[in-house]
Amino acid sequence: MSQMLLPGAILLPLVFAALVALLPQERARSLALVGMLISAIPVLGLLFSFDYAHAADFQFAGSMQWIAEFGLEVSVGIDGVSLLLIALTGLLGPLCVLGSWTAIKDRTRLFFTWLLILQAAMIGVFAARDLLVFYVCFEFTLVPMFILINVFGSTNRKAAAIKFFIYTFTGSMIALAGLVYLAMHTADAIGHWTFALDDLMLHASTMSGTEQAWVMAAMLAGFAVKVPLFPFHTWLPLAHTEAPTAGSVILAGVLLKLGTYGIYRFVLGFVPLAVVEHAPLLATLSIIGIVYAGLICWVQTDVKKLVAYSSVSHLGFCVLGLVAVNTTGLSGSVLYMLNHGLSTGALFLLIGFMYERYHTRDMGQIGGLAAKMPVWASFMVFFTMASVGLPGLNGFISEFLCLLGTFQSSFGLAAGDANPGATPGALGPWFALFAATGMVIAAIYLLYMVGKVVWGPLVEPEGHDDSHTGLPIDLSAREITTLMPLAIACLVFGLYPKPLMQAIEAPVNSVVASYELEAPAATIEHAEPHDSGASEPEADH
Amino acid sequence: MLDLAPIAMTLAADSPAAVASAPAWVMLIPAMPMIGVVLCTLMSIMGVRSKLPAFVTVACLAVSFLLTVFMFTGHSEGWATAVGWEWLHYSWGDGNGQNFTANFAFAVDGLTILWMLFVTGLATLIALYASEYMATDVGQGYNRFFIAFNLFVFSMACLVMGSNLLMLYLGWEGVGLCSYLLIGYYYKKPEAVAAAKKAFIVNRIGDVGLALGVYLAFVHFGTIEYTELFASEKLQGYLHDAAEGHWSHIPWQASAIPLFLMVGAFGKSAQLPLYVWLPDAMEGPTPVSALIHAATMVTAGVYLIARTYPLFQVSEIALPIVAWVGTLTALLAATIGMAQFDIKRIMAYSTVSQLGYMFAGLGVMTSVGAGFHVLTHAFFKALLFLACGAVMHGFAGQLDLRKLSGLWKVPGWRIVTIGMFVGCLNLAGFPLTAGFFSKDMILAEAFVTPGFALIGWILLFTAGLTAYYTFRVFFRVFVGPVEYHAGDDHHGDDHAHDDSHGDDHDAGHGFHPHAPGWAINFVLATLAVCSIVAAGLYFIGDHGWVAGMIHDSTAHIDPHGDEAGGSHGSAALFGLDPHKAMYYISSVVGIVGIIFAYAFHLHGRKSAGEAPAADAFKAALGPIPRWAENKWYVDELYQFLFRGPLLVLSHIFRYVDMLLVDGLVNLMGWLPYAVGGRLRRGQDGVLQSYAASMAGGLALFLLVILLLVNQSA
Repeated sequence: MSQMLLPGAILLPLVFAALVALLPQERARSLALVGMLISAIPVLGLLFSFDYAHAADFQFAGSMQWIAEFGLEVSVGIDGVSLLLIALTGLLGPLCVLGSWTAIKDRTRLFFTWLLILQAAMIGVFAARDLLVFYVCFEFTLVPMFILINVFGSTNRKAAAIKFFIYTFTGSMIALAGLVYLAMHTADAIGHWTFALDDLMLHASTMSGTEQAWVMAAMLAGFAVKVPLFPFHTWLPLAHTEAPTAGSVILAGVLLKLGTYGIYRFVLGFVPLAVVEHAPLLATLSIIGIVYAGLICWVQTDVKKLVAYSSVSHLGFCVLGLVAVNTTGLSGSVLYMLNHGLSTGALFLLIGFMYERYHTRDMGQIGGLAAKMPVWASFMVFFTMASVGLPGLNGFISEFLCLLGTFQSSFGLAAGDANPGATPGALGPWFALFAATGMVIAAIYLLYMVGKVVWGPLVEPEGHDDSHTGLPIDLSAREITTLMPLAIACLVFGLYPKPLMQAIEAPVNSVVASYELEAPAATIEHAEPHDSGASEPEADH
Repeated sequence: MLDLAPIAMTLAADSPAAVASAPAWVMLIPAMPMIGVVLCTLMSIMGVRSKLPAFVTVACLAVSFLLTVFMFTGHSEGWATAVGWEWLHYSWGDGNGQNFTANFAFAVDGLTILWMLFVTGLATLIALYASEYMATDVGQGYNRFFIAFNLFVFSMACLVMGSNLLMLYLGWEGVGLCSYLLIGYYYKKPEAVAAAKKAFIVNRIGDVGLALGVYLAFVHFGTIEYTELFASEKLQGYLHDAAEGHWSHIPWQASAIPLFLMVGAFGKSAQLPLYVWLPDAMEGPTPVSALIHAATMVTAGVYLIARTYPLFQVSEIALPIVAWVGTLTALLAATIGMAQFDIKRIMAYSTVSQLGYMFAGLGVMTSVGAGFHVLTHAFFKALLFLACGAVMHGFAGQLDLRKLSGLWKVPGWRIVTIGMFVGCLNLAGFPLTAGFFSKDMILAEAFVTPGFALIGWILLFTAGLTAYYTFRVFFRVFVGPVEYHAGDDHHGDDHAHDDSHGDDHDAGHGFHPHAPGWAINFVLATLAVCSIVAAGLYFIGDHGWVAGMIHDSTAHIDPHGDEAGGSHGSAALFGLDPHKAMYYISSVVGIVGIIFAYAFHLHGRKSAGEAPAADAFKAALGPIPRWAENKWYVDELYQFLFRGPLLVLSHIFRYVDMLLVDGLVNLMGWLPYAVGGRLRRGQDGVLQSYAASMAGGLALFLLVILLLVNQSA
């Protein structure tokens, strides 16, 4: 039974996608909702039957031979990190349908079919245990999103969709090249083709430092665009602004995480030498992204674009935690993927609800909505605070851990008992200090947004008439139902992240264990001998 | 520098303090206001349109206060902890420091109890006051107000009672949120929204410092739990080194911690250079100003330093910096306060100034003096604010001291006037008031601590200024000829601020101030009594009641060096015991200030608006009073130095992003067309195939490079 959960989670949305496509237009949205909810059942099953004591193991594993002579097979399996990201996807799916209930009026069949297909592809990415499944699913997420933006987006949707597609597609082709090279390298070493991630991981570390650096560059071409890491982010604000609400929610909630997940699973797993060597560069790009995108947020007039740019800024923290390569940073980063999905997803939903009523996102034309929509305003302030990283809400834990991980990760500090809380790594206090300015900048732009849209004297677009929207003035029960699960999750995981940490800690520690870092000889004069015969980061130079 | 020998000795002797477990009901102290939040939220959802939320709040907070009193009576030496649940815990090895633990837990010692007593006590009283003060908003923002009010007390309890630095941080930002929500309570007023935003952002700057301090403390000591951190041998060793002057034995990681932490303290407690948010915070309803922005939240910085006092002592420069920042803030804020006309703003600046005294007290190693001043200030400043609030409430928002006069003689304003008078005497440091004793402890210590005499003189001078501006308010508004003009708002909510300031409402034109009711009068009277009685605490025990409270806490030091080798015991000021000398000197200074205020603002004043002596003196000073009235243009300076350039940079980034970063991307995308000469072909279909071939080409190119690399390797 439990073997069917994972295939079920991937395939059920496809089954319902087919049903939605075949049945009449009028039933599309209710069928889609039912489909999303039923597809969430195997995800719940995964959550409950997952063995958290062995969270680092890939559970529910299954594989199927396809073309044996090329080593092609279809195999899946999840560890704690994959599990949580699948759970996030399973949660956001039904909420997206609910959130688009009234917003999508025409061609609903097309919309919900692709939304369900997208759901399957995303879960597939997180469940993949071989390169084939991963790559197919990873690429296939592009098509539904392209259509969602291209058909259902706002005025400039065509350009946004094309840019989104070409940019990320180009990136992932290059990533494919790197991954194929890796497979060739492995085939060389063991004499036959294999695309199983375990095998690749085993042999990837035998590549020389230079090879690793190239492979990392190739992989990052795909993943960094997806994250997006500065300076590869310019597709994102456009795509987000033009996408329909559900598209933005999925884009921010899950699709961006494919990039950070890729970095976590592939870059950190396959090319450790290159990661350690280039961590300062990646961290610098992350920090530039945090500050640069954050400041750009502050001068936006389009509220959706503001939130879109805030994703660029926020995901900088996430990448920073990853390249810290210690338990704190990685845990923080995985939590960041989840928490950003919850809070930013909710912000996009809220902006969508507002847009349905006012048909504008221009902060010059709308303002002070607290006076008119107190429930909406309360949710808005709540999720803004989650996004700002207020302690007690979920965003804080992940931001705190990413920054602490960055701070700890220092060859200079990690010298035995002198600084027991430090870990070996290439970053350190300075990186944390500069990244921490992002905390202030986030407060500046998010409170600027709330100050305009929620507080202040009521401003409505000229000629606005409440009765024309067909919606209640404040949020409807359906809309509140859409937001409540996210709000509860934000609060609970802010105060009690233990269930998440249980799933994250072991897998993250197994990644860190594969590093066994030692400080470069120059900086370890005071260090006590480190008990490992591990790789020297600088070995090949 | 400071002679720390006796301090380290006593700390070392006390350090292995037993950690007892506190009774579980201690957790009800923060839980009660949380229950208040939940109940008020429910009432808000149900659309309750009565004063019920206020009374629920008062009940919850009163229970919380009673429990705090029980905690006080039941407490003995050392720490007592109560663990709620595991908040954040993970590990990456079995070694020392290879795990991170921050439980949702509470740790109680004397310092905690001291703070919680006045936090919960004042919160209860002020909630009662607010039940009447906010009555015009029943059915509108009333529920919202009390939700945030309860949430504030909960956050403050977490801040003060938390058992680790992360809990403190939770409370720290939590009170910041509530401050934001309550300053922006009248959210239709753009000024209120701007002030709320400013408060949050300026505090965030401090929070970054605090966060970095927490990181560094964890990295260096491997723990952020108070009981482990302060008992650690490493820290004790540093304290020893510090006491013997071996500063070079202490690694920078340890001595940098307080430098980060103090940034947080300066933000939350409105010290230089981060004080600018507090005066603007007066946009909030007055009960909020009294509770959050005068009595409790703004003392969190003092609490932080007192709590982590041992960490501050291992840095050679940390405490002197704190002392100087506090002193200069006290002086600067006092000079601004002298020139303001809005009585609530004057009180705000006096809060900044008094907080400066507390920091100076911490800096010159009298944590007892600082703690005592926190306590007395909490009472008399809450009293002053609430009295101002009563005026604002009764006179339709009027706060300009040139438009109010002689309230003593207006029917129904006796209790307010008496309350105000008691508060003013305390703030002015009039002999034998509580404020007099607590301020003197700090002043005397500054004079006898080697190297800090200049701080003593500056603080003494500031005490004179304080007495002057305090009684300027009293002599203008509460005594003298009767005259009043109504203000122009009715608590802001429905009447947006238009700029027709209410000059046309005159005393005779049908405006009747409405005198405060029982709730406001009762609270004012209670606080007035508390403010007077607080003076008696000075005479309990060896060095006052507060000294006994913090004796077994991390804030404990022995400033008089009763042990051998102490240098302070023999110190003298003008041949007298420093405290005795200070009584006389500061009495004189305070009274002189009051006399100046009398001469300028009461003597010969015929109307509310004109005080001939003061106006003549002001004219003689040239442009200086105007500069002070404009707050020495510090806001403008910050605008010019920080906000402006940052905004310009943001706009530049925005264009860089559109034109350069995105432009390059577009160029890359455009090249294949240009090369193929098919630029004018249709958009969709061809484009995708082009994209595919371009990407494929790039990928192939990269693969070839990789293979070449492999060949050469």
